[in-house]
Amino acid sequence: MSLMTMIVKMSEGLSRTCAIFFLTLLFSLPLGMIVALLRMSKVKVVSAIMRFVITILRGTPLMLQLLAVTYGPYYLFGVSVSRNKLIPVVIAFSINYAAYFAEIYRGGIESIPVGQYEAAEVLGYTRFQTFMRIILPQVIKRIMPSVTNEVVTLVKDTSMAFTVSYQEMFTIGKQIANSQTSFMPFLVAGAFYYIFNVIVDYVMGRVEKRLDYYQ
Amino acid sequence: MTDTMINTGETGSAPSILAIRGLQKSFGSLSVLKDISLSVERGNVVSIIGPSGSGKSTLLRIATFLETGDGGDILYDGQYAMHNGVYVSKKELNTFRTRFGLVFQNFNLFPHYSVLKNITEAPILHGENKEAARERGMELLKKMGLEGKENAYPCQLSGGQQQRVAIARALAMNPEILFFDEPTSALDPELTGEVLKVIRQLAEEKMTMVVVTHEMPFARAVSNHVIFMDGGVIVEQGHPEAVFGATTQERTKQFLRNYKQ
Repeated sequence: MSLMTMIVKMSEGLSRTCAIFFLTLLFSLPLGMIVALLRMSKVKVVSAIMRFVITILRGTPLMLQLLAVTYGPYYLFGVSVSRNKLIPVVIAFSINYAAYFAEIYRGGIESIPVGQYEAAEVLGYTRFQTFMRIILPQVIKRIMPSVTNEVVTLVKDTSMAFTVSYQEMFTIGKQIANSQTSFMPFLVAGAFYYIFNVIVDYVMGRVEKRLDYYQ
Repeated sequence: MTDTMINTGETGSAPSILAIRGLQKSFGSLSVLKDISLSVERGNVVSIIGPSGSGKSTLLRIATFLETGDGGDILYDGQYAMHNGVYVSKKELNTFRTRFGLVFQNFNLFPHYSVLKNITEAPILHGENKEAARERGMELLKKMGLEGKENAYPCQLSGGQQQRVAIARALAMNPEILFFDEPTSALDPELTGEVLKVIRQLAEEKMTMVVVTHEMPFARAVSNHVIFMDGGVIVEQGHPEAVFGATTQERTKQFLRNYKQ
């Protein structure tokens, strides 16, 4: 098989890689905020539960979580494994990444000086207005570097979908590598991820720059 | 010392804009305010002086509802915000909040907003027309000597300029009384003058103000009433000349003497 054929075949999986990537961000970014807010809840039980959930999600392999979400329903309830593996893959990725984003958000929220809340309170901002207008915009700016880190990791983590045989780029590459006894598909995959991340870095850098107008 | 300035809020005539009676506050077992009573009359400037840890800032934070008092009364314009240590509903407290403004030691401007937006957003959220809020904001900036800074961000301003923006922001809500919590303590010495000048100007316009300060000459020159606090109690209060010039209290003498050195 020529290098060109390999690249073309693997590119076909790239759209699925992108699907995992974008859908995971779409769901995990807001979900992470909900988890962060619950984690910071003044109701002790709620925050304790969230703390536990986060330790599970961060303390066990993503690969294991992928397997659990994909095949767990079959073993537990006898529900047949869906043909479209995209759904369980995105669910597993979204939940896992939400746990990481939640801790990033929490760190960001807790880093905002209490004086910002007090100033808003005296000026008659409601709690919701204070959060949406005063706190959140400052949090976003502060957490951008950490979020970029996670997003870059996510690009590479999409390759883990091979464990449930979801036909994304890396899974296809691995199949070609096996059938052709060649290491070349892995190098092609590496190049794909690298280029993907160069683009991610560029985009995130632009966003950070746009938030650079204040300190 | 005389008690003539203390209006209990129950006598006839117009009620004090702010009256505090028998205020108590503890943090755990530490009693930081013990039976504090004071009143602020319309158009007056009240300075609160005293050593660090005397409870001055806590008093201001309780008056502005940033901390809760444990006992006593707080009345704005004769209406109870707290009665015997019990607060009115949150909703009612919010209506009290529209009566006062607070200027912080560390300014607490919103760093992601332009100077003008810092000033205009709260009035707009309270239903003021955008154009009117903008006009009023520009007017206040001019008054603060900050013309042309409306599009700057707080980080581009000096500390003195930031504090003047914070004063404009508080004034934009048209408060009946303005509180200052050590407004010049975070400033370089050469920048305190420009902030004190603005407060002095407001005093001349008969703005009702309560100023916690370490600037003794300023307190003496600008206020109508001085309160000296130490160890959570009001040691004495009265006319600035009575406190600064002719105090009979040993503790006050000692404090003022240390200041002169």
